[in-house]
Amino acid sequence: MSNATSFEMKERAAARVLLVPLCLFMAALLGFPTLINLWYSFSDVSFQNMIGSFVGLDNYAAALSNPKMWQALGFSLKFAVICTTLQVVAALVLVFILHPLLAKRPWMTAILMLPMMVSPALMGVMYRLILNEFTGPIPVYLEMMGYGVNFLGRGNIYKTVVAIEVLQWTPFAFLILLTARQTISYELEEAAAVDGATGFRSTLHILLPMMKPALVIVVFVRFIDSFRVFDHIYVLTGGGPGNLTTSISIYIYKLFFVQNTLGEAVAVSILLLMMSLALIVAAMRLVVRRN
Amino acid sequence: MIVSRRSRFDSVLHASRWVVFVAVALLVNFPVLSTILTSFKTNADINAYPPKWIFEPTLEHYRAVLASPNIDYSHYIMNSIVIATVGTIFAIVLTLPAAYAMARQRVGSSWLLPLITNLRALPLIIFAIPFYFMYKQVGLLDTRLGLALIACVINIPIALVLFVGFVQDVPRELDDAAKIDGASMWKTLWHVVLPLSRPVMLAVFLLSFIYSWNEFLFGLILTTKSAVPVTVGATFFVTSRGIEWGPTAAAMTIGILPPLILGLFAYPYIGKSMLAGAVKG
Repeated sequence: MSNATSFEMKERAAARVLLVPLCLFMAALLGFPTLINLWYSFSDVSFQNMIGSFVGLDNYAAALSNPKMWQALGFSLKFAVICTTLQVVAALVLVFILHPLLAKRPWMTAILMLPMMVSPALMGVMYRLILNEFTGPIPVYLEMMGYGVNFLGRGNIYKTVVAIEVLQWTPFAFLILLTARQTISYELEEAAAVDGATGFRSTLHILLPMMKPALVIVVFVRFIDSFRVFDHIYVLTGGGPGNLTTSISIYIYKLFFVQNTLGEAVAVSILLLMMSLALIVAAMRLVVRRN
Repeated sequence: MIVSRRSRFDSVLHASRWVVFVAVALLVNFPVLSTILTSFKTNADINAYPPKWIFEPTLEHYRAVLASPNIDYSHYIMNSIVIATVGTIFAIVLTLPAAYAMARQRVGSSWLLPLITNLRALPLIIFAIPFYFMYKQVGLLDTRLGLALIACVINIPIALVLFVGFVQDVPRELDDAAKIDGASMWKTLWHVVLPLSRPVMLAVFLLSFIYSWNEFLFGLILTTKSAVPVTVGATFFVTSRGIEWGPTAAAMTIGILPPLILGLFAYPYIGKSMLAGAVKG
């Protein structure tokens, strides 16, 4: 064994030591809770009996046979699909319109980025203020123009929570796509532009494919984020009226803290974990194959 | 002739880009703008019909919020500051050495890095219930430390991604020079990498602080009184006694301002961290 390799092995051993604190921390704060969760999902845990005893698959049976679970899951999936589509399309259109304007003016980009710095919970409260039927500026102005709209009423609440999500997070999609757009070299743009006969279309044909990796990321991140939505809907409607705006995250919260059906709440959260992992693995495969 | 028509077309195009920009900027920022304005209005101005956009500003609602007998808002602000700062420091201390090991020695970069970067895609509610019980057992329920640990967990993925990208950009020769001088890995990390990391450190700090400050779910579930963060505390103004517009708007403004200001500097790193995570993850 040569000196060089033994030195390298020593180096690698030292490097592994650098990983230890992080690994221990993640194991304690994510690994351990996941294991507890798994045990709870097979037990009759309650606030009085925090260890619980084994009850087999009862919790899963209760979780899966509850139509409200499917309703909440359906809400989250539909919400994620609609919001992601609207955000990505809006962001893409805006990137093509605004890119020439923003290229040398970063402060303008900063103004568009402000909404995503706001806590979604507080954003929800702010919309609750400005959409208030009697004193909120938006309903008041609409009323002056002859449209009486109750944004927070049963008929419009779904559209309202979708619109809030889209308005807050389109800037995020816009930022990622703009960053990708700005890394495309000037020469390439010129080459595309020289092909003057088809102008705009040829630009799209050349630029869009180059932005595809960024598009994949944006779709993935926004889908996941909208799927797990909690904050702004919780402060705006608490999941109501009825269960109309109960997302899967709000559903688990309600099972746990409102109805005290702990075992069922845990079972749903384990199912959600498995679904999320499947989604992540699928997305990873997609990205890896692309590279 | 052709040239001038062309340039007129260009200037119309340019003007319409500005119109789109202003419209979008107003649309997405309307709630923030409206809330900040409301917070400076007297009660008479708030109830004015039609809504007033020009008025004499007052600070009475801010005084009311900070002196509120029922809601200890200044305490909640302090909670958020402590939680976000401590959580951010924890995340940096844990991830910088690990990032160095991953980028330089490629230990763990094939499994630990993708594992951790993908954690940010998991719905946080999954961990809410076990955290509640765990914290109840060890006495971390309703404590700043408890929420700081969670802030740390939430920030680890983004800190790790940014640090790994940074170490990859540090010229290897610098490390090698230190090694030849007989410096250990820890010493190299401390004396070579750390001093160079100031810009990325700032990025990590800004983003972690913003994300920690804006966290709501765990604040809602794990606190009741002494460790309530601003995001949760601000909602008390709405639910506890109907809506008092002025104080609520003032509380909102205080709650959104710190991340809003930091965000002006931090936003380019969000784009970078997202794209980096995908290429390397």
